[in-house]
Amino acid sequence: MGAAMTEAGLFLLDLLLVLTLLCLAWWSLAATDLFKGIVLFIAFGLVLALAWVRLDAPDVALAEAAIGAGLTGALLLTTLSKLASSIDNPPAKRSSPVLLWVLLVMLAAVLGYAIMSLPQQAQGLADTVASQMGNSGVEHPVTAVLLNFRGYDTLLEMAVLLLALIAAWSLAPRAATSCEMDEALTVSPIVLALFRMLIPLMILVAAYLLWVGAHAPGGAFQAGSVLAAAGVLALLCGKRLEGRLAGWPLRLGLVLGTAMFVAVAAAVMVGGAHLLQYPLASAGKLILLIEAAATFSIGLTLAMLFSGQRPSRGPAS
Amino acid sequence: MDSFFITVACLLLLTLMAGLWRVLRGPTAVDRMMAAQLFGTTAVAILLLLAEALGQPAMRNVALVFALLAVVTVMAFVHRAWPGDEPRHQQRGRHDDVE
Repeated sequence: MGAAMTEAGLFLLDLLLVLTLLCLAWWSLAATDLFKGIVLFIAFGLVLALAWVRLDAPDVALAEAAIGAGLTGALLLTTLSKLASSIDNPPAKRSSPVLLWVLLVMLAAVLGYAIMSLPQQAQGLADTVASQMGNSGVEHPVTAVLLNFRGYDTLLEMAVLLLALIAAWSLAPRAATSCEMDEALTVSPIVLALFRMLIPLMILVAAYLLWVGAHAPGGAFQAGSVLAAAGVLALLCGKRLEGRLAGWPLRLGLVLGTAMFVAVAAAVMVGGAHLLQYPLASAGKLILLIEAAATFSIGLTLAMLFSGQRPSRGPAS
Repeated sequence: MDSFFITVACLLLLTLMAGLWRVLRGPTAVDRMMAAQLFGTTAVAILLLLAEALGQPAMRNVALVFALLAVVTVMAFVHRAWPGDEPRHQQRGRHDDVE
């Protein structure tokens, strides 16, 4: 009786989640008011995290929560405030509805075929990963795959993040000098108190997520996103990097994750192992070392991407 | 007890869907933003209930992250709506729909 009730309840919950997601996605795309679209997109992120949890993917849910709540909302709202408010969107030229429907039906047919052709029971690589867990140095399969079995992919992803920032910096003008900005800003004491209370908490939670990644959902990307949210909050409170930190110390911090990863990957080759083949005894420690450096770099990179400008080195340089 | 938690989670999700009315109708930007913030609180409650009902403690970490980072979006919103704090890029018509 109890089990059947629970099953029915979960089914209803999933149904409601799917309905809400579809409505939110549609309204968010169809909103002509950009602000309304952004708020709907924020709500979409929330419900999406719930859906990931229901799909038994708590790692993805954590990443969605950290990126969605900490970065995307603030990024979109700040972008909207920087857009010229006087822009009147000209009514979009509509292409023929018949063509639109034909394309939609074709897309639905292709997607439907792809889903129908999936095998009913797919094991995937879950069994292979489970049988190799003893060689990974960690207890959480997702961390084992990301940092050990498929460490090469994660290494390249770190490089992609760095490339994104280099691209953003090369396109954006340099920020005004920090002195000008400090004079222009009058930050309310409430904001300052909030800043002082929350930043240490965010750093603590980031460290916790990093540590817990060894045996439960968590890890460098989630921790780095929380750290980046702390950076975004600091930027929103009017804090800027000091001039003396904005030069090479900042760049060192940005490449630390990738550099540490490459260094560890290469160092194990001295002992005769292959690239990224950690010795079993120290695999756990090496993974934590890489993840700690990666967390710091990811947090810094995402926060710098949010500000979108290369910070000024100050009037001294 | 598990089915009770799940029933409450469903009810909370229904309140979230009801709250969408405020986001869609507004009328002011503050109404929309406050509704989205309440969704955040609702999502935290749903996650905590599901963590208990399904015995998945990892969900509490998701709830923790949501609760901790909710303020970041509000800060960005306040900056946009009341640009007095940040006179660098004042624009006209920025708080048209706020009052």
